[in-house]
Amino acid sequence: MRPLYLLREAMNNLRVNRGNVLIGIVTTAFTLVCFGVFLLLYLNLKNVSGTLQSDIEVIVYLDPGASEQVVSLVQKRLKTEPAAVTLTFVSKEQALRDFSEQFPEESLLLEGMDANPLPASVVVNLSPRFLDTESLSAFAERVKQLPGVTHVAYSQDWVDTLTLMVSYFELGAVVIGMILAMATVTIIANTIRLSLYTRKEEIEILRLIGATGVFIAIPYVIEGTILGALGGGLSLALLKGVFEFLRLELNASGWFAGVEHILPIFPRQVSFLLVMTGMLLGCGSSVLSVFGLMKARS
Amino acid sequence: MIQLFHVSKVYDRCVALHDVSFRIDQGECVILTGPSGAGKTTLLKVIFGAETPDSGQILVQNRNVARIRGGAIPYLRRTMGIVLQNFQLLPQKSVYDNVVLPLIIQGVKRREARQRVMDVLKAVGMEHKQKIRTGVLSAGEQQRICIARAIVNSPILLLADEPTGNLDADLTMEIVELFRRIHAEGTTILLATHNRQVVEQMNGRVVHLQEGRVESDKEATR
Ligand SMILES: Nc1ncnc2c1ncn2[C@@H]1O[C@H](COP(=O)(O)OP(=O)(O)OP(=O)(O)O)[C@@H](O)[C@H]1O
Ligand SMILES: [Mg+2]
Repeated sequence: MRPLYLLREAMNNLRVNRGNVLIGIVTTAFTLVCFGVFLLLYLNLKNVSGTLQSDIEVIVYLDPGASEQVVSLVQKRLKTEPAAVTLTFVSKEQALRDFSEQFPEESLLLEGMDANPLPASVVVNLSPRFLDTESLSAFAERVKQLPGVTHVAYSQDWVDTLTLMVSYFELGAVVIGMILAMATVTIIANTIRLSLYTRKEEIEILRLIGATGVFIAIPYVIEGTILGALGGGLSLALLKGVFEFLRLELNASGWFAGVEHILPIFPRQVSFLLVMTGMLLGCGSSVLSVFGLMKARS
Repeated sequence: MIQLFHVSKVYDRCVALHDVSFRIDQGECVILTGPSGAGKTTLLKVIFGAETPDSGQILVQNRNVARIRGGAIPYLRRTMGIVLQNFQLLPQKSVYDNVVLPLIIQGVKRREARQRVMDVLKAVGMEHKQKIRTGVLSAGEQQRICIARAIVNSPILLLADEPTGNLDADLTMEIVELFRRIHAEGTTILLATHNRQVVEQMNGRVVHLQEGRVESDKEATR
């Protein structure tokens, strides 16, 4: 009987307070939309950077004088590296052919030489898991030590920039998330406080007939939680709508023809996270605003 | 049942209670009288834990209310019924919903709660209006609903502060009659009033307060 009563009271509060509740829902939704946009950008950036990064190759140049045994030993060693996904051996002849194709003008220079000056190399594609700056340089260091290896080349800057960008984004998400969360907590707490205020007399009566502070507070906490969940739901609907719209528009516009997926990512966890965050914000802020009830005497 | 030992209460320089001591035994009916500002309301408030006395002890059923923790006050109040002058009802809710509230708070099962509410509504003569919003009831009816709510959990002690304050002479008699019946069934009553008619008709022990002191304490005449 009690749970039913408390739930009914919460519903009643929502109904009586509907103007403010609506404002609370919209503000929560706005906050969560901002949060969600950021999160989606982040996830998509991370996804894109993952695809781009998987194109990064590490080129291991071999000593031109190295014997076949040494070359195959290097390849064998590279295969045991957990970071290496594919290995492609490029012979001196292949290197010359590639060079001539890419730079037909300069290839004339090479023709004047008796011997092919280009070294043989092994092109290594790395698993995306090992694409951060640290594992890359560690990998390069290890490979450089191998006999028959002259030097190791990879595009350090590109990797650094991406890693840095993703980490800035993470920091930005945390800061913005916290500011928005505080704003939402304030607004929901005020909505609930107003709800408490309009029912001041009722609360006095409940106290008089022996209701505990917790009993009096529960409907307001339920009210805040429902408000937050509705805000989360609304933000989800808005985000999903805009997301789908943008995706269709961008794909139809043809500007990005060739780029396979614009905004490909909207994981189910994001939807769940939005609604959960809404609920938690609502619950937390209403607990804050009813805190006084718990200890008040009278 | 209730014992007060040298209870004093001062509101910023205004002495509401000064060294008040008396006891009320189980089954008694005590009328608290005195002019306006004598401290009647304050006395009731320290008994149900709405105010803490500045000094002195108050035992209610062997619990020291003067030192009670805030968290224990709701449980103290569940053993008493409290009726105040301004009706203290939820005007948007029905008679039934108002009266059942103390039982919901205590987690009484729905079927049992319904039975008890119907019993007390019958006792106050309001069973035919159980579905009506209390906001539209007359003053006398509202006070009867308050009394029904106060006795629905069979309290051993009924506290009433000016329960007839807003009522005319006829309605006052009705309410007095109700209190007498409740007392006759064994409930201890402490009723504060400055209404002579009530004092005479209730015919109980009369404790007279004056400027926060017990001025006289007379047993019932009949
Ligand atoms: N919250 C308060 N703050 C300051 N003074 C108070 C407060 N409550 C009561 N008083 C003072 O304490 C004194 C006793 O008040 P109390 O309400 O107990 O009187 P009462 O006997 O119930 O009077 P009445 O018959 O008019 O209801 C009064 O002088 C009143 O002004
Ligand atoms: Mg008074």
